[in-house]
Parts: sequence; C-alpha cells; structure tokens
Amino acid sequence: MDQPPPSADAPPISTLIVDDSPSMRALLRVALSPHGHAVAEAEDGLAALAWLKDHPRPDVIITDINMPRLDGFGLIAQLRAQPAFADCPILVLTTESSDEKKARARAAGATGWIVKPFDPQKLIAAIRRVIH
Amino acid sequence: MSAMEIIKARERRITVLQGTAEVSDVSGIVLTTVLGSCVAACLYDPVARLGGMNHFLLAEPGATGLNGADEAYGVYLMEILINAMLVRGAQRSRLRARLYGGANFNPAMAFVGQANAAFAQDFMAREGIECLVADLGGRAARRVEFAPSSGRVRSLVVDARAVPPPVRAQTRARNDVELF
Repeated sequence: MDQPPPSADAPPISTLIVDDSPSMRALLRVALSPHGHAVAEAEDGLAALAWLKDHPRPDVIITDINMPRLDGFGLIAQLRAQPAFADCPILVLTTESSDEKKARARAAGATGWIVKPFDPQKLIAAIRRVIH
Repeated sequence: MSAMEIIKARERRITVLQGTAEVSDVSGIVLTTVLGSCVAACLYDPVARLGGMNHFLLAEPGATGLNGADEAYGVYLMEILINAMLVRGAQRSRLRARLYGGANFNPAMAFVGQANAAFAQDFMAREGIECLVADLGGRAARRVEFAPSSGRVRSLVVDARAVPPPVRAQTRARNDVELF
C-alpha cells in the first residue's frame, strides 16, 4: 500500500543515511526524497559522527552495519553514549540477517532492524512509526 | 593423463546460480555460470588475490524498464558480493570488475539483457570500480569461468539451450522489518 504523499506544509523529515555504497545511498535518497525526507549522506560511521557534530540532530538515522573505519555497531554505541542522541531513532539497514548480529545491534541501542533488499514502502512505514 | 586433464583434475568448479554470489581465494577453484540475459559481475582484488562472482537478472520477461525494486535488488546482490570480499581482506579501492552477459537472443527478454548490462555498468561507475572488461549484449549465450585466486576469466559462446530458465526473483524485498 502506498504511503500518503506528504502535505505541502509539513516540515521535512531530516534523515541521515550512513552507507559506504554510493549506489545504496542513491537508492535511499530516491526512495525517501519524494516522501518528505530531507536526506543527508555519510559514507561510514566516522563521516556520520563528523556530520552530526556540525548539524542539528536529524529526525532519523538509517545506517548500514558493514562499513570501513567505523561500522554501524560502533556508530550506534558512540551516539547512544551522547545524551543528545539517547532517544534519536536509529534504524539499521543491512544485508546481515543473523540473529546474533541483530541482537548485537539491539544491545548497542538500535531502534530497529531492516534487512536488504528493502521495500521502499515498508521502510517509509517503519520510519513513520519510529519518529512519532 | 594429458597436461589438460591434470589441470582439470585439480580444479573444483562452483556454479554461481542466479541470485547468488560466491567468493574465494583458493587456487584451483573455478567459479562458473551460464548466462543469457542475466549478467555476472566478476570482481577481483589483485593484492589480496581474492575474487568473487555474482549472477543476476533484474527485470522480468516482457519488462520495458527497471523499477525501484529491481534496482534495489541489483544493488543488494552487488553489496552481498562486495561485503563477502571485504570481510576476507579485499579493499574497495583495489577492486576491478569484469562484466559478462546481458544477451538479447530471446525476443521476450529483449529489453532485459540490455537493462541488466546497463545496470552493471552504471553500478561500477557510481562505485568508482574500474571496469576492465564489459563483454555484454549481443545475441549469444555465454559460459563464464573465473579463477578467483588469479583473477583470470574465460568467456565462451555456448548454445542458447545451455542457459538455465530464468528464475523469478523470489526474494526481491525481504520485507524483514523489526522494531525493537
């Protein structure tokens, strides 16, 4: 079922996408932008931390797990250690489907776990649920 | 036993099925697949001496364009391949690609081969992965044989009847969403 289009006067949902694949970031941008998301991108956990230092807290962070320099587990743990990000929704979007990895993400403080390849409508629905 | 038979006896062949990826750094392993409209990407890291192959079909017979789910599935199959190589020591910046398949010999699949080939080339360009070989399109089926420890690839024209029937993409989207 399609999500309703965003109303014209609704503020954009600021969304940080963290993924080392430019193709995956582009897919997410194309999927989310028409649905009221203002999308920013970071190529790994360290780039995400740097972006977050210089910008207002986004409404939602969507992060991959397997990334160079700082992976998704490390990013979530570092953000949850900061009071400003204690309740920021962080969705993991990953090719990993093992229960062990999912449990690790949950323990680190992830808000949700979505396995690729993603269905854009389900991703949007999941975001709506965690930001409200 | 001839020299060729000895070489063959030492080989272990792994067939890369549609919708899957295989990675290895073991000498003597040969990754192989037969392609019609499907495309196989062979990636190789010459420093880690490690290679991998995937095999994908993004559009359904009769399709006239790739939709968002097709693209997402293609990116997913590339990511599966790349991640499997990275965890074994490859580096993204060292990866080199060779692309095969995307033939248009079946009228019902005419658009499909072209779309798969274009997706693979666009993906490599976006990811900054140098494409050394793009043996794509045409009207002939191909058998691809890739030695992942050396990076050597052979592409042979084969009878179209050797091509396995396309598998419908049964798991395009996993729909696996769990909120904690």
